Amino acid sequence: MSIIELEGIYTAYEGGDKPVIRGLSLSVNPGEYVVIGGPNSAGKTTLLESINGLVRITHGTASVCGLDLRRYGNEVRRKVGYVIQNFYFDPFTPFTVEEVVMMGRYGKMGLLNRPTRSDREAATEAIRLLGIEDLASKTIGTLSGGQQQKTMIAHNIAKEPEVLMLDEPFSNLDFNAREYLQGVFKSVAKKGTPVLLVSHAFDGLPDIRIHLVVMNKGRITYDGVCDAGEVESIIRKESGGGLRSSSF
Amino acid sequence: MVFASIACSILGVIISRMNLSSIGFTMSHAAFAGAAIGMFLEINPQMTAIFFSVAVAALIGPVSDKAKMAADATLGVLFAMSMAVAIFLVSYMQYSGRGLSAGSLLFGNVISLYREDIYALAAVSALTIIFVLTFYKEITSIMFNMKIAEASGVRVKLIYYILLFIVAISVSLTLNIVGGLLIFVLLVTPASIASQFCFNVRSMFIAAPLVALSISAFGVWAGFEYTLPIAPLVALLLTSVFGVSVLVSFKRRINYKKY
Ligand SMILES: Nc1ncnc2c1ncn2[C@@H]1O[C@H](COP(=O)(O)OP(=O)(O)OP(=O)(O)O)[C@@H](O)[C@H]1O
Ligand SMILES: [Mg+2]
Repeated sequence: MSIIELEGIYTAYEGGDKPVIRGLSLSVNPGEYVVIGGPNSAGKTTLLESINGLVRITHGTASVCGLDLRRYGNEVRRKVGYVIQNFYFDPFTPFTVEEVVMMGRYGKMGLLNRPTRSDREAATEAIRLLGIEDLASKTIGTLSGGQQQKTMIAHNIAKEPEVLMLDEPFSNLDFNAREYLQGVFKSVAKKGTPVLLVSHAFDGLPDIRIHLVVMNKGRITYDGVCDAGEVESIIRKESGGGLRSSSF
Repeated sequence: MVFASIACSILGVIISRMNLSSIGFTMSHAAFAGAAIGMFLEINPQMTAIFFSVAVAALIGPVSDKAKMAADATLGVLFAMSMAVAIFLVSYMQYSGRGLSAGSLLFGNVISLYREDIYALAAVSALTIIFVLTFYKEITSIMFNMKIAEASGVRVKLIYYILLFIVAISVSLTLNIVGGLLIFVLLVTPASIASQFCFNVRSMFIAAPLVALSISAFGVWAGFEYTLPIAPLVALLLTSVFGVSVLVSFKRRINYKKY
């Protein structure tokens, strides 16, 4: 049984003149390491946000973690980790790294419940995994872009998700951090949690079989399994080479 | 006054973090319009004030969802609408020569409070405190970032709508004491003072009501002692404390150390 099962889905933003995702089908199995590539505005972010129900699916069927996405959006979001592409935290944001990481579990805990010991342990473990122990009591708005990104990844690791989705998680990270995190994501996948990674940078992909998905204009143009070393050349080929194809 | 300052300052911490400060304006004018309707219909203005502001509060969320506007813009639209209703009715009553006590709505009246009003305000303060304690987790994660809160599976809309509802009730009840013009001071200023000194929300939730409480208590005492108008006095006191706190806040201090 696949963890993510999308069948001919369409999604549209309110006011948009045409659907952004157009008749897309995708299935993801436990433990897969999925890389999603494609030019800017291909619909990668929109695909991730339809998988956790932040964007409404207008046609087609979608089930995530065995739940009908169109009915149980909130329940799905409790099980799916999602590191968003763009965020900005102003310097006066009154939340520490520790609090932000713990917030990853807030939905999961359910209304009225307080953080328990196991919640605190998961948060501490995530902070340790990301190597940001020394930032734990700093407020998030005063950190560097990369430190904030690590915090948001820890926020989602602490959630202990059944699917982990990452939208350009490396955009602010230095070379060492990228390589280290690829290892972290690989071990997440190894434990059976599928990882969906949207990225434009493919250096340091873990040395495992990759489920590669290439998107263009709201459709999937390539969906197959390959080695880490092949990812870049396949995406290049699918995108038609050069910048021209994306600047329609 | 004391209860009003507790409720408003706690809600203010949430509201100013979420860039919803104009909700103070909108709700107070909605309450004002509601009260004008009450006077016009010659029924209890307080009841119509509450009713009308709850109706407006119920509109803010759905309207901004539907219109795809920032809640702030929706607040602006509803503010204008409320003000128009209020002015329309007040002018109409003036023309038709009906007794007018709109002034007391604008500026409030600390002394002419009935016992029931005080009970109601105490109840609203309690409601606010219970709301924040019960949904502390959800409220703080929404204050952090609405989208991230939603992605983590928090029921953002539910909490947001409850919040608007509680603000509506608190503002319309407080209106009687401090008036529509000064309520903004109770909502926003204590939270702003707290944010000058506090690095985390927990301390802001404690500091803001403490500041509001002590200053308004002092204001009430000074007002009675020297027969000064209490609400404007409290407003001036809070604003000057805010001014001083901006000047002395260590958050703005630049470290000139070279090591
Ligand atoms: N909130 C929105 N409202 C309307 N249209 C949107 C919205 N967000 C995205 N779009 C449109 O959807 C299309 C796909 O956007 P999306 O963000 O999914 O692309 P992407 O593949 O993630 O691109 P990038 O690599 O630049 O992040 C774009 O044409 C964009 O204009
Ligand atoms: Mg994107």
